[in-house]
Amino acid sequence: MTRRAATFVAAWFLLVGPAARAQAGDTVRGERLFQYCFSCHSVERGETTLPGPNLRGIVGRRIAAQNGFAYSPSMRAFAEREALWSEALLDRYLAAPYVVVPRTSMSFPGIAEPEERSDLIAYLRSTGGRE
Amino acid sequence: MSSARCLSLALLAVALGSPVFAQVRQQVFPLPAGAYPHDVAPAPDGKVWYSAQRNGALGILDPATGQSREVKLGSRSAPHGVIQGPDGAAWLTDGGQNAIVRVDPKTDQVKVWKLPEETGYANLNTAVFDQDGLAWFTGQNGVYGRLDPRTGEMKVWKAPRGRGPYGITATREGDVYYASLAGNHIARIDKATGEARVIEPPTKGQGARRVWSDSKGRIWVSEWNAGQLGLYDPKSDTWREWRLPGEKPQAYAVYVDERDIIWVSDWGADAIVSFDPATERFTSYPMSRADAEVRQILGRPNEVWLPESGTDCLMVIRTAGQSQ
Repeated sequence: MTRRAATFVAAWFLLVGPAARAQAGDTVRGERLFQYCFSCHSVERGETTLPGPNLRGIVGRRIAAQNGFAYSPSMRAFAEREALWSEALLDRYLAAPYVVVPRTSMSFPGIAEPEERSDLIAYLRSTGGRE
Repeated sequence: MSSARCLSLALLAVALGSPVFAQVRQQVFPLPAGAYPHDVAPAPDGKVWYSAQRNGALGILDPATGQSREVKLGSRSAPHGVIQGPDGAAWLTDGGQNAIVRVDPKTDQVKVWKLPEETGYANLNTAVFDQDGLAWFTGQNGVYGRLDPRTGEMKVWKAPRGRGPYGITATREGDVYYASLAGNHIARIDKATGEARVIEPPTKGQGARRVWSDSKGRIWVSEWNAGQLGLYDPKSDTWREWRLPGEKPQAYAVYVDERDIIWVSDWGADAIVSFDPATERFTSYPMSRADAEVRQILGRPNEVWLPESGTDCLMVIRTAGQSQ
């Protein structure tokens, strides 16, 4: 492989890799992995009384967009900088929430394995309709 | 970490809603960056433990020097709670390992009790020991359980109303209660049968987050959604509730000290609030910085310890000679 080609491949993995992995995720495994989120988040339509915001249709949704939810100052500031929860952004966030949104009030430390994040994002994407 | 970084603060407490002023001594101990102390527990040798959730470790602070170190708990560890067991060891509820973990304070030896496979991911939260030396714990995904450290026997029950079990406490009489944040109730565990009986606070959707018992066996509840302090008296089966001062209080943690003064962390005001049941007055104390995010409180005589998860610090409020 030429140096130029190697550079291209590396760039592809960096830029497209996270989104591509999420597209390839397994929704069945992702539903099981949603147990990481389950205590504070729901994907059931209209269930908005839990400690965290409803995640139904979170993929592609505006950040900090659930009406009436008391988002942390850091998440509100993050929403000023980033518009939407793209799959690539969700992948970075799920890997280390406190790195992507410093001082987020969510204490969950993150999911280290890329495949698990991919499966979880696939499941979240499958919840479809936006809340 | 340098002990010189430890800050000594003598601060006047800010009384809200009443002309109460109390001079107290607050001291802040910076921890290594990223320590993220979720819970805290005084250790028997004068040191202080904290659950370093993002580092997968038990943190150990020596207040005498301000220096701290960490004991790694295992692969995928992410401890939520830490308490002192009757054996003088540190006991942790480790969500990452889905296990109860013991750390020997003399040898740093780590022992792990995994939850039964069929339980699944419990999102382990907090533990407490009863008078019989049994460890009771909550899992926020909708379970509570019991570990007998002598035999290793572990039993897990599904919580009534599913997800939510959060803080847990044992009374002096040995009764065990937990709070259900998502379930908006507290529950008393029948230790003979393991059954949990739901007890409803008067305010609907209050978000009962943590519980603590006073010397009379009454149960104090931090009500996150309602921004209230709740009190349940099992003898009379009655409730009282007080709204915290400020515009948008959020009551996260609750702890009752040896004088039966109640301590609550209020995320809405970014402050610690104490409450004297005799006068029904609140007194507010500032945190070291904004967004301190105190998720739990624990102490020993004359000391109230506060883990500032948002600032990677521990704070102590020394209460000796303090009048509420």
